[in-house]
Amino acid sequence: MSDAATQIKETIQANDVVLYMKGTKEMPQCGFSSRVAGVLNYMGVEFADVNVLSDEVIRQGIKDFSDWPTIPQLYVKGEFVGGCDIITEMTLSGELDTLFDENQVTYDKDAADKIREANG
Amino acid sequence: MTKTEEIIARLQDALAPSELEVVDDSESHRGHGGYQEGGESHYNVRIRSATFKGMSRVARHRAVHAALGPDLLGRIHALALDLDV
Repeated sequence: MSDAATQIKETIQANDVVLYMKGTKEMPQCGFSSRVAGVLNYMGVEFADVNVLSDEVIRQGIKDFSDWPTIPQLYVKGEFVGGCDIITEMTLSGELDTLFDENQVTYDKDAADKIREANG
Repeated sequence: MTKTEEIIARLQDALAPSELEVVDDSESHRGHGGYQEGGESHYNVRIRSATFKGMSRVARHRAVHAALGPDLLGRIHALALDLDV
């Protein structure tokens, strides 16, 4: 396994929720990363953010790791969940709530409902 | 063949879609990362295809990535996908 893959594995095992993104959760550098970080922030989910723009090896490594060509990428309990489109769809359908419930990830259900009301 | 035409051709071939919409959305990303003069950098793609039946969201996306191939994907900055049966 490459150094990048080893590092990624350690990160997603050490943190229940990890977002590989462009920029940081406080200052996203791309609209798609911003949208996913925004949803997680709004739902009060505690997550680790990894800025791929600050590490070229991880930027390519994360794409190889998941066999997924784009950023952002969300991981829950070590498993790849999806990118921006999938997380958006899962937020609106309630599947993201279910995923968090099943994995004992704490989040604000009312906030999630508010997102759905605003986008319903 | 433009990049947009290339995308349409590959998706038609691989996924036999009942509906296919490929929108070059580059202009709305003007000034943002990956934007290039002349467009063809950011795409919104909507596909309805029976081949997606029984597939998870991630599997559907992977099927589209595979249809486009790494070469074409590497020449696109952003690809927003709306996929269903």
